Amino acid sequence: MRISYEWLGDFLDLDGVTPKDAAEVLTRLGIEVESLTMVDLSQIVIGKVLEQKQHATSRTALWIHQVDLGDHVQQIIAGAPNAVPGSLVPVALPGTTVPNGKLVRDTYIAGEKASGMLCSADELLLGEDHAGILILDRGKPGDALTTVIPSQAIMEAEITSNRPDEMGHLGIARELAAGLDRPLKRDFMPAFTGTADPPGRDLVKVTIDDPDLSSRYIGGVIKGVRVGPSPEWMQRRLRACGVRPINNIVDITNYVLLEYAQPLHAFDLAKLNGPAIHVRRAKANEKLLCLDGEERRLTPDMLVIADALRPVAIAGVIGGEETAVTGATVDVLLEAANFSGPSVRQTSRALGLRTEASARFERALPPELALAGARRAASLISELAGGSVHREWADVYPRPQEPVRVNLRPALIDDVLGTHVPLEEAESILKRLNFHVKVMADGEWDILPPVFRLDVTIPEDLVEEVGRVYGYDRVPPTLPGRRRDSWTPSAPSLDRRLDSMREVLAGSGYTETWNPALVSGRNLEALRIAAHAMRVSNPLSDDMDTLRTSVLPSLIDVVALNRDRGRLDVRVYEIAAAFLARVGDKNTQPEEPLRLAAVATAGLTAEDGRVAFYRLKSVLDGCVAALAAPACTYQRASAQLFHPGRCAAVVMEGRQLGYIGELHPTVAAAARIDGRVVAFEIDVEPVLAASRIPRALPLPRFPGVERDLAVVVEETVAAGALLATIKESAGDLLELVRAFDEYRGAQVPEGHKSVAFTLTFRSSERTLTDAEVDRVMSEIKVALEKRHRARFRE
Amino acid sequence: MSDPSALTSEALAAIGKAQTEQELERIEVEYLGRKGGRVSKLLEGIGKLGPEQKASLGKAVNEAKRAIEAALAAMRAELEASRLADLAETEAIDITFPGPPLGRGHIHVLTQVRRQIETVLESLGYQVELGPEVETEWYNFEALNLTVGHPARENWDSFYFNSQLLLRAHTSPVQIRAMQRIKEPPIYIITPGRCYRRDAPEATRLPYFSQVEGLAVDKGLTVGDMKGTLLYMIQSLYGRDRKVRVRPSYFPFTEPSFEFDVTCGICGGMGCKSCRHKGWLEVGGCGMVHPQVLRNGGIDPAQWNGYAWGFGIERMAMLKHDVDDIRLFYESDLRFLEQF
Repeated sequence: MRISYEWLGDFLDLDGVTPKDAAEVLTRLGIEVESLTMVDLSQIVIGKVLEQKQHATSRTALWIHQVDLGDHVQQIIAGAPNAVPGSLVPVALPGTTVPNGKLVRDTYIAGEKASGMLCSADELLLGEDHAGILILDRGKPGDALTTVIPSQAIMEAEITSNRPDEMGHLGIARELAAGLDRPLKRDFMPAFTGTADPPGRDLVKVTIDDPDLSSRYIGGVIKGVRVGPSPEWMQRRLRACGVRPINNIVDITNYVLLEYAQPLHAFDLAKLNGPAIHVRRAKANEKLLCLDGEERRLTPDMLVIADALRPVAIAGVIGGEETAVTGATVDVLLEAANFSGPSVRQTSRALGLRTEASARFERALPPELALAGARRAASLISELAGGSVHREWADVYPRPQEPVRVNLRPALIDDVLGTHVPLEEAESILKRLNFHVKVMADGEWDILPPVFRLDVTIPEDLVEEVGRVYGYDRVPPTLPGRRRDSWTPSAPSLDRRLDSMREVLAGSGYTETWNPALVSGRNLEALRIAAHAMRVSNPLSDDMDTLRTSVLPSLIDVVALNRDRGRLDVRVYEIAAAFLARVGDKNTQPEEPLRLAAVATAGLTAEDGRVAFYRLKSVLDGCVAALAAPACTYQRASAQLFHPGRCAAVVMEGRQLGYIGELHPTVAAAARIDGRVVAFEIDVEPVLAASRIPRALPLPRFPGVERDLAVVVEETVAAGALLATIKESAGDLLELVRAFDEYRGAQVPEGHKSVAFTLTFRSSERTLTDAEVDRVMSEIKVALEKRHRARFRE
Repeated sequence: MSDPSALTSEALAAIGKAQTEQELERIEVEYLGRKGGRVSKLLEGIGKLGPEQKASLGKAVNEAKRAIEAALAAMRAELEASRLADLAETEAIDITFPGPPLGRGHIHVLTQVRRQIETVLESLGYQVELGPEVETEWYNFEALNLTVGHPARENWDSFYFNSQLLLRAHTSPVQIRAMQRIKEPPIYIITPGRCYRRDAPEATRLPYFSQVEGLAVDKGLTVGDMKGTLLYMIQSLYGRDRKVRVRPSYFPFTEPSFEFDVTCGICGGMGCKSCRHKGWLEVGGCGMVHPQVLRNGGIDPAQWNGYAWGFGIERMAMLKHDVDDIRLFYESDLRFLEQF
């Protein structure tokens, strides 16, 4: 919300309070001033246009003005035609910097002398209007502009959603007055009432269909108004707040909205059928030509203001064009109503139209505000547009605002804040904010919040009121601490437990990534991993409309992106949840297994892929070992995304954790990746669950014996099977066996391969003899021959 | 049979002339060798001598041996010293030549910052609590006083799967779940995790981000305790010279509610371009837990009270590492990730 510093001065004495001071006080009170724009008009002077003629030779339309500046006349050229002779205009002389930052120079334009500039409202930062020169309604040529327009300061402030009362200058001024401890010069409820006969309620019939959607509707009748421009000071303030002046009646409704935060609307009474006001839901297929010139189609969940025949306004959002106040209007119906916040928000959203009015109604205004706003507007209309205000307006108020009382145990203030606020100070603060405080016999305070403060309902709300005016910077920072008889022992978080995996991955050259969990559902379908996908019903775009069921596709995209940016060797991983809808009830939360996934690029050849696969396997084994979990075994498998001949299920203690393998060539190709990519994705939680504290073993006291063994078998025999046989047949003396080479070629028959193993034998009781080891070796060979038809190379 | 003293002189002369350690080695073998060394040979035929002569010869031979050993050791030390004295020239390398690339991987900067935050708060006795990212309407909104139609709800515009399930808009649901699970205060927890809001991606915000929220429920907690906790956390992360201010604001789940700001690290609070001349940088929200929220978590507000706070991990990382575009964290360009 835009706040004019000058306007605040109507309500309290700002003597000695600079705009910057005011902004700081408001921010400390909870009205965050996000920017402060100072508009210094002291260098601008008033000029009177004596003559205006078009520039004869310029290609663009330009006007040459002779401007009276009090003691001399100067020639000034402008692009806008509206500074006709007799106009009073703001003039920036050569050498001045205009508030918008432009430096004015003495110059010639297409051969004509141009000494200065006639300013638009936009250039003076007095509004958005840059179409024409700002025309003043008074002032003496040669005087400073500040004799008619004071220098300005505009604050842009963020109003929290619980404080609609602060969406007007009066509410802001009330806070500022409380913060500065200065009196507020304006009462909330204006005393003004109409006097003309007959009673207004006899002139227009008001009905409300649904009190849940509209709890109050005041229709004030004012007859015989003179529609014309509003005074310069009002136009200036409206412009400063970003509102375009229209005519005095409309300007007054907007002015009061910006003052009281109560939206108002003025109808041309003569154009209302009935004349009647019917607050009802729109009928199907009703339409309304709105004030902004657009015709809008209405639906039955929208609340409208209708006359006897048709909608004339969309409640709380925008008025209709046909019943608007125009230059021909004589009699006015002034609407001051209360509409339900959710209903206005829904309508405003459905129409894609947010207005000053809807922004306020959305936050649930107090119905009592309507009368205050109506009275203020009526008094301004009577003062500035003449007309007679009728007495006893129609005021349909089916749901009167209930007064709220809150009991406060004053010690709660100190208890919650953690500092001592003297009782007199707390009471004074509440009174400054218009709370009524009654101290009861038992010391508790019976507090009546002002009618415009619907947000205060519990004692803690009152603590907040006291605290923010007292000043939270006066509350000393402390750490909680007391003797405790119960506690939760400290335990490392899940993420910290995973750090040992991150260390292994970092050491192996893998970089961690965080990728969005929302991905393209279409892509998951193309990859055939969309079976348990959860689709967002209101996505921002279709490339993030579905929760990922696997972390791998994100990493594949990371490879593609980094390849595109010139990185050939990409090794990345991510630890994040995958989301799998549960079968059955769609209202149950999905499974969110935490996954570790990693990918690495390899070269172009099948051999590159094979080597990369084994390397990645070591990385995965290293990760598992880092968590001190049992080693994984690998079983040939086929899975989506993976190469059919190069994929394994990762198994730990009989439980499948996930897959490792080379990506299927079509998957890599779909991601525009040349060459081979290896990857794995596993569930992390079972690994953590299987994690054990490592127990120290005694170091060996006797030397070990190493033997190599080259086993020739048919291609189909897996190294894993050979290892299992070796371990099984070797007995206790075999400490370690490791496969270290695979060989095909000379000395190995076609369709066969040679797999080389290193075996380490050791006894914990004695030094082994060659003869002992030879015996075990020959038992291993027998078993290998028998089970795998193996032969041996020397 | 030669004379031990003559043999000693001969040996010492040879040692004195030796130029290399290998030569000394040869001399040692020649004179002191166990089998066939010339000193040992002096003892050949000692059996035929009388006891006195035996003793005197033995003594002389031992003296010769010790003298030669001492000379060898001294000469060895001399030769070694002169050999090592040359190392600077003989084995010099170009120490300015760079080492080969390590090829190490990097831990994501958000993980690093999250880790720092967890460590700091664990040192104050807070425990990490986690919860589901796909939440129910009740935990995400209702339990936090964000009832349907509440005007504040538009700040938590969310992704829905159906009317009941949505992606959590903050990690506050974990606070409710933790209160329900732990039941008996004191409760001191933090809730790091991913969140989602329906905001179009731009330099300062994303539809997905990560938060850390904190919750303390105990007897007699105060706004001062909350301020102290935030100050301890911020100073631990950014340094002792930082200040924290709390500024009244509004959240339906806390009363009173605040935003908390940190003094700008560039100007130290004086006001500069990077803090838009405010001197303060906005970090997050905080407040005293609303009694109804405690009740929704199964905690009796008549007995206990609490404070809570929350902020974005990305925001913390941006402030700490001068990152100017939040999208960089999730774009996974290695040129960015490898800077941390």
